[in-house]
Amino acid sequence: MDFDFGVITANWRFLADGVWITVLLALASGAASLVAGFILALLRLRGPRWLRPAIVFYIDSMRAIPVLVVLVWTFFALPIVANVTMSPFMAGLIGLTAHLAAYAAEIVRAGIESVRPGQTRAALALGMSHPQILRRIVLPQALVRMLPAFGSLLSVTIKDTAIASVIAVPELMRQSETVAGQSFQPIEVYTFAMLMYFLLLYPVTRGVDRFYRRVAHLGRS
Amino acid sequence: MTFDWSVVWQHRDALAAGTATTFLLTIATMAIAVPCGMIVAALRLYGVAPVRSLATAYVELFRNLPLILVVYWAFYVLPILTGLGLSALATGLAALSLNVTAYNAETFRAGINSIRRGQVEAALALGMSRTQALRRIVVPQALRRVLPVLASTWVSLFKDTSLVSVIAVSELAYVSMQVRAQTFRVLEMLTAMAVIYWLLGYPQAKLVDWIQRRYAVTE
Amino acid sequence: MNGDATERAKATGTKVIRYLDVVKRYGNFTALAGVSLDVHAGEVVCLIGPSGSGKSTLLRCTNGLETIDGGDIEFEGARLGRDERTLRAMRQRMGMVFQNFELFPHLTAEQNVAEGPRTVLRAAPAEAKRRAAAMLAKVGLADKAASYPSALSGGQQQRVAIARALAMEPDVMLFDEPTSALDPETIGEVLNVMKVLADEGMTMVVVTHEMSFARRVGDWVAVFDAGRIVEEGPPEQIFDRPATARTREFLSHLGWGG
Repeated sequence: MDFDFGVITANWRFLADGVWITVLLALASGAASLVAGFILALLRLRGPRWLRPAIVFYIDSMRAIPVLVVLVWTFFALPIVANVTMSPFMAGLIGLTAHLAAYAAEIVRAGIESVRPGQTRAALALGMSHPQILRRIVLPQALVRMLPAFGSLLSVTIKDTAIASVIAVPELMRQSETVAGQSFQPIEVYTFAMLMYFLLLYPVTRGVDRFYRRVAHLGRS
Repeated sequence: MTFDWSVVWQHRDALAAGTATTFLLTIATMAIAVPCGMIVAALRLYGVAPVRSLATAYVELFRNLPLILVVYWAFYVLPILTGLGLSALATGLAALSLNVTAYNAETFRAGINSIRRGQVEAALALGMSRTQALRRIVVPQALRRVLPVLASTWVSLFKDTSLVSVIAVSELAYVSMQVRAQTFRVLEMLTAMAVIYWLLGYPQAKLVDWIQRRYAVTE
Repeated sequence: MNGDATERAKATGTKVIRYLDVVKRYGNFTALAGVSLDVHAGEVVCLIGPSGSGKSTLLRCTNGLETIDGGDIEFEGARLGRDERTLRAMRQRMGMVFQNFELFPHLTAEQNVAEGPRTVLRAAPAEAKRRAAAMLAKVGLADKAASYPSALSGGQQQRVAIARALAMEPDVMLFDEPTSALDPETIGEVLNVMKVLADEGMTMVVVTHEMSFARRVGDWVAVFDAGRIVEEGPPEQIFDRPATARTREFLSHLGWGG
């Protein structure tokens, strides 16, 4: 067995572009789903009653459908229905955000609900209004409690960007496929890809772990 | 633009076969990954130092790789490494099993570690050996904590089987997209695919919710 | 500083436990700095002192839950087992009651009490059940045999824990702050059970903050401070005529008048 990692160096720019797209897609969909998730969770908690079943349905649906299916539908079917054209990256961004926002909403909800009711009671006793309580007492504590789950979600987001390769988003997985196909050296190329993803993901999980341990006491009541 | 939804019904046999394969993959993977996960967790908790490091490395590796990459890697590398000519289905099963075993190992390890030290001490104080304490006191309690997580892993696995479609395993996603390619009925087939997954996945997700409520640990 | 030997009423019995210059360190922190103490058969020895003074540590070293770094512990004339098997054999003859009860939540009260005889003594299930029922009746909880720990009050759980330890028919009972985690109303029911045991002649080592219990039921009291015993003697001496300033200071902090 003869390994020639020269194929990596020969195509490093092509592959580096893939890494860049991976990071970009992960950060963009991560941020968007975070915002969307917060909005959904707060709407579910404090919004109009009639909206709640719709939000719950949306969240449960995204938990039931694989990311691959969401991405493929967004890229191929949505343009037909909505009469728009979109780039693979855009479809990837929309699909990932839609899928992840559901999980983010659940994390936010669980975080808020995990703050002890005694905290709210104490704040009410001081004369605070409910919006004040949410903003100054509950959310700060809830945010700390949400950290590990969000770290985990970020990790999932990065991994899910690789699935966007099936709709031709030029992220690392796709670029690796191309190089592997052209060079007939799949072992070297995919091993390199594994290394890159590991280098991206491992610090995220470890970093979130460490950061959480430092601030965990802020969320304990 | 006309839509012809009858294509879905026409190809119901293929879709049913794909669904069956999806279930088969899920069940087979769990059947492998639960016992293997227990073994890896045990190695990680009680093995000698080099074994512990190896087990930890395995778990950390597969928890930090995208599954779709593992599928591709298994498809291209496994035949060369093992010298076996595995079918796409077997390769997909191998990739899924490697992945889920790592997650299960972490689940089991966390479950065992979550049992308070005092419980082990009380058992030892009665004169039990460590093995007895593990078997009779720690594991029964850990099982309760582990069950909801395993249920959740099951649902994730069910969805992840869609990823082996990239190596042409005839599970639901692959079959749906094949029919789409043959009939050019893009919207109909892709929507049908989503709906079928929804119909299968929604009750499973609800079941997991119920399990998590039922087995919630209050301490 | 040490009570007059003639005042030690129960010193005629054999020495069930001997602590000989026991040293225990956690990293840089010295939890026990050379503790020597004897426990005679039938004695109730109470260990009192401020938090962190080493009382609980000494107890946990007694049955090997913690290993000592210096000195020796003798149990029934033999050095505390270094290997698992000897240690386990010794543990079977010691009963321990924990501050947090540590009942096994997946077992009923009766199953908890029967667990020791069943798993460790390899008694037949019927025999284990019989013993469990007897012990539960002894602590006044026969009617709670089928209840799970989560359905019991703190005091009830602790009494079940005592029954669990008694079911092994130990030669000595070790109590690690048995009432510290209890509501004031339930402390009494646990202390009453402990008094019954003492009256029956059980050898007991009790780490406690319940001074009135130590005064009434104890035969010998050792006052701990910073990993050492600063004074030991009969309860009358320790509580009524403490010989050291440290003891007086500690007792006055607890509001123990006189």
